[in-house]
Amino acid sequence: MKKHHNNPDSCTACTVCIANCPVTAATRKFRGPKMVGPTLERMRLSQDDIEPSLEYCSNCKNCDMSCPSGVPISTLNMLARAKYFKNRKRSLRDWILSHGEKMAKLSAATPGMANFGMKMSRGILKKIGISDKAPLPAYASKSFIKLFKNLKQTSYPDKVVFYPGCFINYNDPQVGMDFVAVMQANKLEVIVEEGFVCCGSPLVVNGFLDEAEENAKQNVQILKKWTDKGYPVITCCTSCGLMLKQEYQELFHIEGVAEYAKQLYDADEFLLDLHDQGRLNTNFGTLNEKYMYHAPCHLRAQGMGLPGVELLALIPGLDVQDADAGCCGISGNYGFKDDKYDISMEIGSGLFKAIKDSGRDTVVSECGTCRLQIGHGANVKTLHPLTLVRKSYEAYHK
Amino acid sequence: MREYDIVVIGGGLAGLMAAAAATKRGKKVTLLSLGSGTLTIGGGIVDVMGYLEGGIPAATPSAGLLQVGDGHPYKKIGRPAIEESIRFFKEICEQEGYSYIGNLDKTQWIPTAAGTLKPTCLVPKTMDTTELKKADKVTVLGFDALKDFYPSLIAKNFKKIPAFAQKEYEVVMVDPKLSEGRDVTALDVARWLDTEEGLASCIEKMRNVIDSGSVVIIPPVLGTRPDYAVKEKLEKALGCHFVETASVPPSITGLRLRTMLVRYLKKNGVRIVEQAIVAKSIVEDGKCVAVITEGVDRERTYHAKSFILANGGFYGGGLLAEPGKVIEPIFNLPVEAPTDHELWANYSLFSSEAQPFAKLGLDVDEKMRPLDADGKVLLNNVFVAGRNLRGYDFSFEKSGNGVAIASGYQAAMSV
Repeated sequence: MKKHHNNPDSCTACTVCIANCPVTAATRKFRGPKMVGPTLERMRLSQDDIEPSLEYCSNCKNCDMSCPSGVPISTLNMLARAKYFKNRKRSLRDWILSHGEKMAKLSAATPGMANFGMKMSRGILKKIGISDKAPLPAYASKSFIKLFKNLKQTSYPDKVVFYPGCFINYNDPQVGMDFVAVMQANKLEVIVEEGFVCCGSPLVVNGFLDEAEENAKQNVQILKKWTDKGYPVITCCTSCGLMLKQEYQELFHIEGVAEYAKQLYDADEFLLDLHDQGRLNTNFGTLNEKYMYHAPCHLRAQGMGLPGVELLALIPGLDVQDADAGCCGISGNYGFKDDKYDISMEIGSGLFKAIKDSGRDTVVSECGTCRLQIGHGANVKTLHPLTLVRKSYEAYHK
Repeated sequence: MREYDIVVIGGGLAGLMAAAAATKRGKKVTLLSLGSGTLTIGGGIVDVMGYLEGGIPAATPSAGLLQVGDGHPYKKIGRPAIEESIRFFKEICEQEGYSYIGNLDKTQWIPTAAGTLKPTCLVPKTMDTTELKKADKVTVLGFDALKDFYPSLIAKNFKKIPAFAQKEYEVVMVDPKLSEGRDVTALDVARWLDTEEGLASCIEKMRNVIDSGSVVIIPPVLGTRPDYAVKEKLEKALGCHFVETASVPPSITGLRLRTMLVRYLKKNGVRIVEQAIVAKSIVEDGKCVAVITEGVDRERTYHAKSFILANGGFYGGGLLAEPGKVIEPIFNLPVEAPTDHELWANYSLFSSEAQPFAKLGLDVDEKMRPLDADGKVLLNNVFVAGRNLRGYDFSFEKSGNGVAIASGYQAAMSV
């Protein structure tokens, strides 16, 4: 079964996806993944068929994960959305939310001013359809690329290429710095290629498929260049990872994706693989700390289990409990939209409750926007797993 | 290298039960699943043996077990293990606060949404028919806009069933006000009742149409969670007895059972890998060393001491049908099938005979290890469970979840 074969006829209308769709559970406005995806796709193949509730799909991929017949339901929805917008005018709101990278570059000169401006202009953003309650991320004072350039790494013969992605680069660069520190502790030198552009995930969900394809072409060329030389490429963001290795194959016909995907790793899984090969630095210092863990949907969709949980289990003293309470609701920029904010919070309500009930004040998760949503919805601190790995390495030397 | 005691391939009921039994024995288990199994499609009631060959109802599940043919999985598993598996299943349900009722010595005839009765063995308490059988007057309650549940059809058809013909039926409706947006399914109503406001509003609406002391047949809507909170609150508030019917997908009873079992496994340290497409195996000297998943990115290798193959039949992808032959794709185990595939189907509608294709599958020994055509064990540390087993048509004989539970349990106990 090849996952990138988008065949709606593989759907047997068994309804499992409906039972597992968090959006369907949260709102009656969405007609559900089976209907909006494969069922209507058969109509769309022969005629223009407009389904108004298509806009409610958040591309979280729980439908794909539950499907017994391997139908990439969410991708059918994203392709239909792109087709819908082909000859239609887009909203300013959707443009802004899809072009985080461009927005960040515009703000890069003065991130402090941009953050101040953003706070002031939440009323204006609300007018164009961005919720004034949503947890919009602030820009970091220095991007990851800037911080990385000023960092003196120890050179090692073994090197890895890091794909930071927009969120880490512009909003949460510390995760990238923690990644570099963890690689260095494992005698690996990190290469960061500045030619990388946004993976396209925020573009795809708002129907800017052509632009996403342009980004994909550029990224594919660079990714392939490095993996052809034998360097693994690593991401810390699960949505970037899913887009680069899987959704590119489902959405576009670009040569080379299947080839580099073999060497494209999630950071946690990469470290576990090192461990399997007996070459992980296991000088972990004890961390007598308790955390909750949230598995991002886009990690679960990748068919590798929960490597973050397994990795953190190697750290002595650390107590990490999987919240196991489903989607957080944010789905990239879905929960930022004014008309989706309540749905997004309703989806996450089960998770927020599980976190609050645990009494633990910090949640670990790989996905940046999941962390924003959890911080907002459950009123807790959040961390990437690698931040704890770094902390444990540092505790060993104390 | 990470090595587990047992890798279970398949996240349906057979795989979940195998993982549960294995973890109970202290084994370190990884479960590889693709999709969320067929429980949410097929339902959460446990059929053990409803009909014998020729379409004759078995007097009890026990009696049915005595009469299955030699090739049937139950025959391999044997009565003691079947009993133990049922006991183990009920024990988990009890422990998790979602107990099941029934036993092998009694067939429970439960109402369906079509107004017929179907034979089964174990049901959740929401389907207990004790009060229904005793009642002279029965209320059939439907929900406005709910598809696939027509109370008047049920009342009309029940009048044709001898044991139910003497009863008086009253049809009533409640409007959940869910008509905005998409079509209404039992899942929508169940989710409405999951919420406190929904439940309170439903109680008020029901109070207007049903009398205290009534026995009420309703679609499977008593909450989506694996507990009896919705049932108990409704019954307490209204002084009634509710009986859920078996119904069409998405199955609420199956959803509850799956949620409960997955939660049980995670609590007991089973590592679950979703979206794991197991494509091949590494076999050395009659033993499986590892299985390999084929991701959209790359292959991943899972090492273990033993493997339980519970990845379904033709529907789940555990068996592949090709013209004139059946393939088991992971271990390439032999599947005996007529080379003329025209012979795989029974073409007569509403026949009293099983479907030949449904009986195609893997032959195993009493420990559930796969056998070759001469009855020799092919792989010492691979155990087969569930729909890929040969010799039964679950749909015809009403044995599906029963074989899944018994074979999953037996596979885990044989490791």
